[in-house]
Amino acid sequence: MKRTVIPMGPQHPVLPEPLVLDLILEDEKVVDAVPTIGYIHRGLEMMVERVEYTEMGFVVERICGICSFMHGMGYCVSLETMMNIEVPERARWLRLIWAEISRIQSHLLWLGLGADAFGFENLFMHCWRMREEVLDIFEKTTGGRIIHSVNRIGGVKRDVSDTELAAILVRLQDLGQAFKATAEVFGSDPSIAHRLGGVGVLSAEGALAAAAVGPMARASGIATDTRLNGANLYDQIEFQPVVENAGDCLARVVVRLREIDQSIDIVRQAIDKMPKGEGQPLEIKPRGNPQGEVFTRLEQPRGEVLYYVKANGTKYLERFRARTPTFANIPAMIQLVKGCDLADVPNIILTIDPCISCTER
Amino acid sequence: MDGIAFLARVEEYHKAGWRLALINATSLMPSDELAQGAFDVVWAFAKETEFEYLRERVMPGEEVPSISASFGASFLYENEIRELFGINVTGIALDLHGQLYKTSQKVPFSPSAIRARLEANAAAGIASASATPPVAGKHA
Repeated sequence: MKRTVIPMGPQHPVLPEPLVLDLILEDEKVVDAVPTIGYIHRGLEMMVERVEYTEMGFVVERICGICSFMHGMGYCVSLETMMNIEVPERARWLRLIWAEISRIQSHLLWLGLGADAFGFENLFMHCWRMREEVLDIFEKTTGGRIIHSVNRIGGVKRDVSDTELAAILVRLQDLGQAFKATAEVFGSDPSIAHRLGGVGVLSAEGALAAAAVGPMARASGIATDTRLNGANLYDQIEFQPVVENAGDCLARVVVRLREIDQSIDIVRQAIDKMPKGEGQPLEIKPRGNPQGEVFTRLEQPRGEVLYYVKANGTKYLERFRARTPTFANIPAMIQLVKGCDLADVPNIILTIDPCISCTER
Repeated sequence: MDGIAFLARVEEYHKAGWRLALINATSLMPSDELAQGAFDVVWAFAKETEFEYLRERVMPGEEVPSISASFGASFLYENEIRELFGINVTGIALDLHGQLYKTSQKVPFSPSAIRARLEANAAAGIASASATPPVAGKHA
């Protein structure tokens, strides 16, 4: 049969960011897909040559506007591990809270984009309206809605008062209640089920072979979650990975819906358990220059992010590498696209929650 | 590197159910011991909460076998280290022939490219890392 090559992207109505995928088709079936991810590659990792390690965190958190907080956190945790810095406990709890709030806003953002992609614009607006409320919390506590610059090597820059934390919890729980109605639509609307159910099925074996991470893997029945390693105080939080078994586009939506509730509960636990009282130390200043190498793993909203940092005792790092969850999920995405109908490609791509800025760091 | 022994070790991870977590390269700058520089390459694997890695010192031009046969997802990392570092990875399952990244500079992370940039920075008076590897105990 004659093959047709359709270049999808870098600009496409369903793509929030520029991804290029050359789709090779036989009739309406996709038989192969070749990715190109260099359209907005910025070479941020190269900046370690000119930016001192104390300033590099500000570059790292600009890898992506959605994952900004956790990129900054991952970089700081890497340097703290390398330099044996004991971060004050209240600062660690605040980081955990902000990380979970990041997950909520990221999932709401994605659910809106997903709804828009499968033609449910009203749902898109509801999700993004709720996300604005989460961004309000960020603005009030960090000073920024997108780029927060609140992480420091050795701690955090700002405290959040106990009164404010209590108010945040109330606000998030109210949001969680209001979100139930929206989640209900995602879970029960027949047109959504028709559009996403049974589409882009990734088996557990396929997810492992493709090295999928995050909601992508969990929607295929794999109970993987980097937070289970207990680092960054997650050992003091009671939670289990949200797992679905269908492995299709709808399962990936449901995992993210459930993770919003889970993150609200984690914030509640964190506020309960963190040491009370303001005026506690929030930051230990690093002394000297880092030396050695370290791998740091965090569970970002899209899955495991892995940072590799190597330092040689000077104020410039020798190597900084961020392997983002979208990068890890691209092989799974290509696997899913092969054999699907052309009309399903946008939904399959979107349900990996691609963050191209992260991938093209 | 001993390609056969290396691939056998990689296959052990595959058989034991590990997931490929990362392939990362780091350029080592030219020094008395490494006239042309070299690469430190790490293949990292994850399984539940465990994390392990293999490390090899790769000389410029030396062949590095693809691990696609054990871990199909390796193609993305392997294309990346070939395009950005110039590491000669052979047998990649999905060979993108230099089309993965569209960088303005070819092989931007090769030791020679890094050294050229750092020397240019020094000549222009721009603060940056040193093109000379630091001597132990005498760090800036």
